[in-house]
Amino acid sequence: MTALARTWDRLTLPGRALFILVPLLALLTIGLIVVIGLFGGQILDILIFNLPIVRFVFAATVLLLLAPPIAFVIIYMEMKIIALMNLRVGPDRVGPWGTLLSTVHGLKVLMKEDFTPSRADPVVFTWAPVVVFSTMALSALVIPFAPGLFAQDLNLGLLYFFAIGGLTVVGLLMGGWASFNKYSLLGGLRSAAQIVSYEIPLTLSVVGLVLLAGTMSLNQIVQQQGTSGWFTDWFAVRQPLGFLIFAIAATAEANRTPFDLTEADSEIVAGFATEYSGMRFGFFFFAEYIGVFIISALTTVLFLGGWNAPFPFPHLSWVVDPGSLGIGLLFIVAIVPVLGTLLFAAPFYLFRSKTRWWVALIIGFVLFNVAVGGLFGLWAYINFDWVAGLFWFLGKTFTLVFVFVWMRGTLPRVRIDQLMGFAWKWLLPASLLNLFVTALAVLAATALRGGAA
Amino acid sequence: MATQTPPRSDAPPKAPAGTHPSADDPHVLLENEYDFYEPIPPYPPRTEREAEFYTLGDGEMFLNMGPQHPSTHGVLRVVLKLDGERVVDIDPVLGYLHRGVEKLVENADYHQTISQVDPLEYISSLFCEWAPVTAYEKLLDVEVPRRAEYIRVLSGELNRIASHALFMGWFALDLGGLTPILWSFIERDEIVEMLAALTGQRMLFNYFRIGGVNGDLNHEFLSRLGDWMSRAVGQIDANIALLNENEIFVRRASGLGVIDSETAMRFCMTGANLRATGVPFDLRRTHPYSIYPELEFDIPTRTEGDSLARYLLRMEEVKQSIRIIDQCLDKMPDGPIMAKLPRLLRPRPGRAWAAVEGPRGVYGAYAISDGTDQPFRLKIHDPSFIHLQAVGALLPGNLLADTMAIMASLDPVMGGVDK
Amino acid sequence: MDRALARRLEARFETVLHGPAKGRHDQTEVRIGAGDVQDVLRALHDEPEFHFTMLADLAGVDTGTEMQVVYHLWSSTTSDWLRVIVEGLSRDDPRIPSVTFLWQGSEWMERETYDMFGITFEGNRDLRRIYMPPDYTSFPLRKDFYLPDDAARSPGAGVRHVERTHSPVDAAPGVVRRTSA
Repeated sequence: MTALARTWDRLTLPGRALFILVPLLALLTIGLIVVIGLFGGQILDILIFNLPIVRFVFAATVLLLLAPPIAFVIIYMEMKIIALMNLRVGPDRVGPWGTLLSTVHGLKVLMKEDFTPSRADPVVFTWAPVVVFSTMALSALVIPFAPGLFAQDLNLGLLYFFAIGGLTVVGLLMGGWASFNKYSLLGGLRSAAQIVSYEIPLTLSVVGLVLLAGTMSLNQIVQQQGTSGWFTDWFAVRQPLGFLIFAIAATAEANRTPFDLTEADSEIVAGFATEYSGMRFGFFFFAEYIGVFIISALTTVLFLGGWNAPFPFPHLSWVVDPGSLGIGLLFIVAIVPVLGTLLFAAPFYLFRSKTRWWVALIIGFVLFNVAVGGLFGLWAYINFDWVAGLFWFLGKTFTLVFVFVWMRGTLPRVRIDQLMGFAWKWLLPASLLNLFVTALAVLAATALRGGAA
Repeated sequence: MATQTPPRSDAPPKAPAGTHPSADDPHVLLENEYDFYEPIPPYPPRTEREAEFYTLGDGEMFLNMGPQHPSTHGVLRVVLKLDGERVVDIDPVLGYLHRGVEKLVENADYHQTISQVDPLEYISSLFCEWAPVTAYEKLLDVEVPRRAEYIRVLSGELNRIASHALFMGWFALDLGGLTPILWSFIERDEIVEMLAALTGQRMLFNYFRIGGVNGDLNHEFLSRLGDWMSRAVGQIDANIALLNENEIFVRRASGLGVIDSETAMRFCMTGANLRATGVPFDLRRTHPYSIYPELEFDIPTRTEGDSLARYLLRMEEVKQSIRIIDQCLDKMPDGPIMAKLPRLLRPRPGRAWAAVEGPRGVYGAYAISDGTDQPFRLKIHDPSFIHLQAVGALLPGNLLADTMAIMASLDPVMGGVDK
Repeated sequence: MDRALARRLEARFETVLHGPAKGRHDQTEVRIGAGDVQDVLRALHDEPEFHFTMLADLAGVDTGTEMQVVYHLWSSTTSDWLRVIVEGLSRDDPRIPSVTFLWQGSEWMERETYDMFGITFEGNRDLRRIYMPPDYTSFPLRKDFYLPDDAARSPGAGVRHVERTHSPVDAAPGVVRRTSA
């Protein structure tokens, strides 16, 4: 045992963590294999019997696991794009063009001291970031990423989304109140007022859309926007005022500039998140960027056609049947990489005198792989509709995220009374107007159709 | 007084009670009983105003925008009395950057005082040097050569443009826009590099001397200046357009912190803050000094008196400064850049006051000499000090978000406020 | 030096001036006593032939034998700066009436002079220290201020502690006795 004690003394904290975790993981894996081996069939039966629950758990896990990478991407986008707008360089050193910086930020946030202020309410203080993050993540359950690629297809998907999204206010208020800090209190109350005021135009602007679509299921809304394949089916074209109101209200819901006074760091330090540090602040931070992504995703789904392409592509088919090539397959696998590498390396070696031959070969190999990857992606796009759908969905969502980031880099922020005045005096009547006009149009259309038929 | 708790293990050692002038001060004794920090109302209040401020009404609370805050313009502590989000009253607490410059100067030579007064309004250092140097020149009855005067005006106007560029960025930052400050820092960086080529320093220039300036115009300065001047107006217009045509910015800034000319005169305000209320008081025209009578430029004035007017006014001043620089370069005479003075200066015993128009207002220096080689007294009058006082009259009734915006629009520099 | 201004000042205030109006370069200087401050400055501010509506500076001076307060004024009627030196304040208990009734902006300038010299401005609603900490015991710009001696007496010597970031190990749980309302 003394050898163990001596080793334990010499280890640093990460070493000690690994020292405990690795044997534990090994034991767990072995145990899992044994259990599956013994009871595999019964477990499978239980899972198949409870498929909806299994599906839900799987989808929620996937969403939670995907949240950090998406947040990292968006954080990096924001830092880099705002820097370029500010005529600066932005993240540059960590990783190629600074892409790993947000990952490093995430790790840094894990390593910071995690303290609770002495007078803060410890339970509420600790649970606030959890509430905020989990409501954000849960609200993403109903968003259809591609045909067949959604977590749940609820009939009341839209209602569910707004209901769960509204719980974020609770989390922000918890954080603001429990911090025992007047800045946090002001920030929390401001955010509560802001989110609650903008909920109403947000939901009302969508009611017109629901009237036209006849359903609240997000999956079916997207399907309806794909009926003709052209972008004129999108609800952005059919409900322009609703789109505009929704976009503005969504910016306010996500606490983004110009409505970011809850975290206006030139006035109230960091608003409700002033007293938070370490991973708890990381949670708030994550939650904000996931919120940006989710709001953009929702806007895409509702107004911009979701996973539909803007115009109908001619139906191609590209079937690759490796079996029919016979011996030719072996030749292709052997010769094409070599030829490809040489082909891509040649321009670098010939036209750029500084490049040594092996560096050119490496560059060629990398470019060849990129080209093959691109071809593979193209094949997948043509043959699998979910790949195509995912491509369009992510493209549109990240375009909207770019617009959010663009607004942050350009616009100053509004004042709380201007913000509330705008919501109650302009957006609310506008959304009501939109609703009435849509309802009248639907009535008129059915009357005409009923009259003609 | 309640019993004192025993000293905690990590607290610094306390002086025993009764041996210290403050040991029986209830303020200090109360502090030892708390384990968190709060803007404690001073008990008993020392002045009438303190008693009025530190009495909380119904539903009011104190908020301490402490010396460490992302957007107080330097180390300034502002105790706000808030009613929800509305500011009822404010009490600025100064002194965090007090360096005792006036005392230091009394122990230094006349020449050494120049580098000691530089960090007062560190953004517009040349004006901080200009006023005392002019006061000393009046005590010595020395006439500054014309070329030195032209160089002083040229570098001073460049410093004014740099200071206003910083103001624009800072003002926008306090309103929430992240981009204008970086764009205006491009301006400021170029000018500051120019002045580094001329004076040797980027910020605290230490360039003016009693009787002239330190170094003549050199090739690098002139080439950078020419390069910048060819692009200046376009660049400045682009920077201004970023904010002027921004609806949110205009709506935030207009009608904010309105001062009328009576209040401004009562508060002894000067500079752009006064000109924005309609009083065309600019020391360069109303009480001309140096070679300003020979130069052609306008004094922009506005009547609205709100933050937007102050901002637009400063931007117009930048354009006028470019005009002045043009004329200076045109009319630059030849000649010496320093008057002939002995190394050890002993001015006649007497008093002299000199004031220059800095970017923030009238920057004055009152020098008293007793015949020795050290100044007897140098009193610096700083415009930011005065403007910060007016904030107390402007803020009540506004929202918390406007606090920083109004303070930023008055353009205070804490180095000057705290001396 | 504006001779016409000097003559006007001597004519108007001859009873209170301590000697003729002097001047050099672009400044005119008059000297008065502490009791006449309010009348003289009000006259200078209100009367249309003077119209000295702008107070440019308010300075305290310790000449070694006495204390002085110096006002610099500007008017549109003359091209000179006017310097009003209020002399004869004692070094033990210098008192002078305040001019905050004319210019509210002089409040902080008087505070600064009080902080640095100990001159009490009677009528200033807010005469407390502005640069030094509120319980500082000396007046720094006086000629008899000696820094090391003062540091030993300074309140910073261990009595005050700054804010904590954690509760001390042996802290009693959350009982705060406030002895003030």
